[in-house]
Amino acid sequence: MTVNMKKKLSESILDKFSIDFLRSQVLKNAYGNDDTVIAKLDPRVLLAWYLVVGLVPWFVSDLWFLGACFLLVLVTTKLARVAGLVLALFAVGVFSQTGYLFIVALFFGGDVSTAAPLLVMTLKVATCSLASVTVFSGLDPDRLSNGLMWYGCPERLSFSISYAYRVLPMLMEEFQNILLSYRLRGNPPAHETWTGKVRYLVYQVKIIMQAFYPLMLNTAKRSRTTVEALEIKGYRYAAVDKQVKRMKLRTLQVTTNDFLFLALSLLWISLAMLGSALF
Amino acid sequence: MDLAKKQAATQSQKLMVFVLTMALYGLATLFTELIPKFQVGIVEFSVEYFLFIPLTLAMLFDPLSAALGAATGELVFSEIMLGQFGGLGELEKFLTVTIGVYVAGRLVRDPKNRAMVGVAAIVGTGLQLAMGAVVDICKVQFAVEDFEAVAGLPESVFATEGFAFANDLLFSGILFCMLPTMYLVPKLYGKIEPLLGMRPRDGQTSLGGLSPKMILACVIGFVAAVASALIADGGLPLIDWEADWAESGAAFSIGMVVAAALAVAAILVIKIKARSGESVEQKA
Amino acid sequence: MNAIEIQNLTFSYPAAEAPVLRDVSLTVEEGDFLAIVGNNGCGKSTLCKALNGLIPHFLVGDFSGSVKIFGEDTLGADVGALARKVGYVYQDFENQIVRPTALDDASYACLNYAMEDYEDRGREALALCGLQGREDDYVFQLSGGQTHLLALAGAVSLRPNILILDEPIAQLDPAHADRIYGVLRELNEKHGKTILVIEHHTEYIADYCKHVLLMRDGGAAWKLPTREALQRVDELQACNIFPPQVTTAAERLRRAGCLPASSPLPTTVEEGKAIFSALRYRGAGKVLPEKTEAAEPAVALRNVSVSYRSVKGEDRKVFRGLNLSIHKGEKVALIGSNGAGKSTMMRLMVGLLKPEAGDVQLLGQSILRRKTEDLSRTISLVYQNPEQMFIQDSVRADVAYAMRVRGEADWKARTEDLLRRFRLEEIADRDGRLLSGGQMRRASLAIGIALNPGILLLDEPTANLDIATRREILRTLTDLKGVTDTVLIATHDMQLVCEWAERIVVLCEGGVAADGPRDAVFGDRAVIERVGIRPPEIFTMGQALDGRALCYTVGEFERDFAEA
Repeated sequence: MTVNMKKKLSESILDKFSIDFLRSQVLKNAYGNDDTVIAKLDPRVLLAWYLVVGLVPWFVSDLWFLGACFLLVLVTTKLARVAGLVLALFAVGVFSQTGYLFIVALFFGGDVSTAAPLLVMTLKVATCSLASVTVFSGLDPDRLSNGLMWYGCPERLSFSISYAYRVLPMLMEEFQNILLSYRLRGNPPAHETWTGKVRYLVYQVKIIMQAFYPLMLNTAKRSRTTVEALEIKGYRYAAVDKQVKRMKLRTLQVTTNDFLFLALSLLWISLAMLGSALF
Repeated sequence: MDLAKKQAATQSQKLMVFVLTMALYGLATLFTELIPKFQVGIVEFSVEYFLFIPLTLAMLFDPLSAALGAATGELVFSEIMLGQFGGLGELEKFLTVTIGVYVAGRLVRDPKNRAMVGVAAIVGTGLQLAMGAVVDICKVQFAVEDFEAVAGLPESVFATEGFAFANDLLFSGILFCMLPTMYLVPKLYGKIEPLLGMRPRDGQTSLGGLSPKMILACVIGFVAAVASALIADGGLPLIDWEADWAESGAAFSIGMVVAAALAVAAILVIKIKARSGESVEQKA
Repeated sequence: MNAIEIQNLTFSYPAAEAPVLRDVSLTVEEGDFLAIVGNNGCGKSTLCKALNGLIPHFLVGDFSGSVKIFGEDTLGADVGALARKVGYVYQDFENQIVRPTALDDASYACLNYAMEDYEDRGREALALCGLQGREDDYVFQLSGGQTHLLALAGAVSLRPNILILDEPIAQLDPAHADRIYGVLRELNEKHGKTILVIEHHTEYIADYCKHVLLMRDGGAAWKLPTREALQRVDELQACNIFPPQVTTAAERLRRAGCLPASSPLPTTVEEGKAIFSALRYRGAGKVLPEKTEAAEPAVALRNVSVSYRSVKGEDRKVFRGLNLSIHKGEKVALIGSNGAGKSTMMRLMVGLLKPEAGDVQLLGQSILRRKTEDLSRTISLVYQNPEQMFIQDSVRADVAYAMRVRGEADWKARTEDLLRRFRLEEIADRDGRLLSGGQMRRASLAIGIALNPGILLLDEPTANLDIATRREILRTLTDLKGVTDTVLIATHDMQLVCEWAERIVVLCEGGVAADGPRDAVFGDRAVIERVGIRPPEIFTMGQALDGRALCYTVGEFERDFAEA
């Protein structure tokens, strides 16, 4: 899988990186891992855990503590069986957030003294990102939106999350077909030379933008049916009905596994704190 | 009866615009995550947005629904689906995108007027980018301890943010927001509305330009965005955690370890008991 | 008690010049199974939306008259209350499914209306619609037919007494279509639901429906028992509705004097057996096709294997070592059930999809290393969904696009020529998406042959069209002769296959199950049963009367069974 990923990414992205691949990765990420340890945890517990692991590192500069947190989220990410694409994005994201700043600081006459705070920051960023990867990629969208609703997030948001996962495959297929129309009938510039490659990239970006014109109209047709169906299915009534919310949240249940997960996390972190205090 | 009917109808139209914008802009932001970023020196040419999508829809339909739809779409598709959710900090982007798109949508009274559409698009984009830049500067200032003391850092932050703003506005802003919007809005006008069962925007149905009340709401939104970004990054040095356990030393840490270990043991015992109980039941 | 009572209903959409519904009055008894037929755009869908209260509560417009559902006026009830009495399944049903898993979607409405037993209701609805065991499946794992059943389950879960379905089988193969109608019949007979379908497959109407309502110009022309209704051949044909082939054949034979003038017209094969029993087969029987010298292959697939990534578990193999050659000048129909790989094969041929193993050759040359855009002068694909072919803002621009970007010298003249040939001149400046179904198809064909490709691939060119428009497309296809000589069509439409194709290729389980002229394919019962295709009704009729009879069109039937 990862070898395949690297090969994919190293090739020219716009040319070889098919929407099909993207679609399968996103779907895999959303639905392919609903039988993992992480996915079976209660979303509320996991969100609370995220709040701690994703927030506390910002306040702490102790390397022991940050290192332990990082290892913890590394393990949970592994347990959540996150799709390769998401991990690649994580790596790029962390680098572009702080690695990039580091180079710029050196450019402006900084020296190694700049490095220490930036290293700490990188660790913070990485820990928080992986914690969010664990929670948001590891949970199936529906449980996630129920969990968010329990914490009082607006109904519109939790509807959007599960609806997004429902429409994404359809939207991507539609978009892919439109792009294929451009490919079949278009006439892209030759891209053997370097300037040709740049022209080709510009052409591709232009096509992607233009493809939104048909996509907008086609999606508009679809969303009309969807919204009518939502009206029939009582979405508008449910949004203001407390009883419905109560019924939705009833499906959530905290089990001993959730406690075990929390206790193990706590044990690990406190061991790190002990290490930091002793050495 | 009639009023209620009308309200239901407009609510449904708003929901349609919301769903449409969310789906389209969400899909687009999924791609933005994947488009390569060029770097020429320190200036990053990032193909940042497909912001023209919500801008276009905000100018044709109800601006607030389109703005909220866009922000939600980005949050759900590119942050949550790809696991790139950055905690409370996302609220900042949510609010700035909403404000930018909403203002642009309100500015357009006649979607057939290309000049008006272009100006509105660039104003909306500029507003969003400027708010983003201010938030970013504040963020780094608070996140790195002793910001002023680190050699070269303040200059670099101001320089990069300034560059980023100018470059984003002139590069992405014009190329990816203003021009596509100017191309799309007049093209879609009169075609997309019937598909949603609506009347095209004209003199009567436009919401009118900016009002003081709306500006006030936008300012409050922006302040909230800055505040959320700062809180998210833990910039406010309200809590000094390090001192907490470093001073109480090993004893405190040992206490925590023991407590946690006990908890783990207790839960394991409960679990094993529960499982054996289950199997007994199954046998019986 | 009457399930539905409509009195003098008139409705027009805002900004429309003429009302869609004019003075409609109609009663439907409880327990009826009613087919609504009529031209495209005669107000069928609008009428159905007036029954579940979307009109006038959700879609505003000028509304007069009254609609009563079990005695309750829809004006006084809200959409929520009406949804529990009237269930609705859209034609574009995939857009009405809003939840990720089957059980979730089936029980969603019940949950929203705060019914405590929502999950049980969802399960019950899934069971009623034949989806037991698929409760936890994700929607994208379901086939087209199953997705439709799920949309139906979503409506059934609220336990409405009336169910309305808008063209339920338009995109399905016969096996899936039978399944849908089987479920509907059970709901109607065992559970007493009143069912309304908008349908133009009259064979299905004859088999399943109790009454037929003909709509004409926004009004209700008549409502009659099915048998009686389908015998009004002239009146139906005037509205572009084609009665079952058996009925049409009988009507023609009666006119020719081969059947007594007093004879009733059969509407199903069963009835036909009795009515046609006096007729004798006088055809020539099976004519073995002459072995013609095989021309040079235009497209060839050599040992091709393809599989799709799946979200979970094993990848799905579509083809395993498949071999197929299409020769120059052939008219080939590609058939097989949903998911047999028809679209995949077409994508392979135009280079949009690369096989995992094997080779794809175009005019003797492998295309695997060639760019898609270079192939488009040789081979062209017209999608199943024409909307996805429209990438410009007018039909004219779309037709011209491929020629314009390639800098063809005479692209302007050729565009005008194509517009004329496909009768698109009057609508040339409109956006393709806003046209009617038939116009969209014609436009997509014009786009497809703009570059003068020698080989044309058409994916389901007659899906979602009423029969009159299908005939028109068939005429257009025949007109293609001389422009494109090699044509490959993937379709479920067996009438199209039989009237048009010279060679039929049947796909099944990753390979070619049968290949040859129509007599070789349809004459072989074993193949037909194994791959689940269904010959046209008139063919089955002929077979039922005489095992030697192989007649594919009404005309052939008439010829073979008429008294000399």
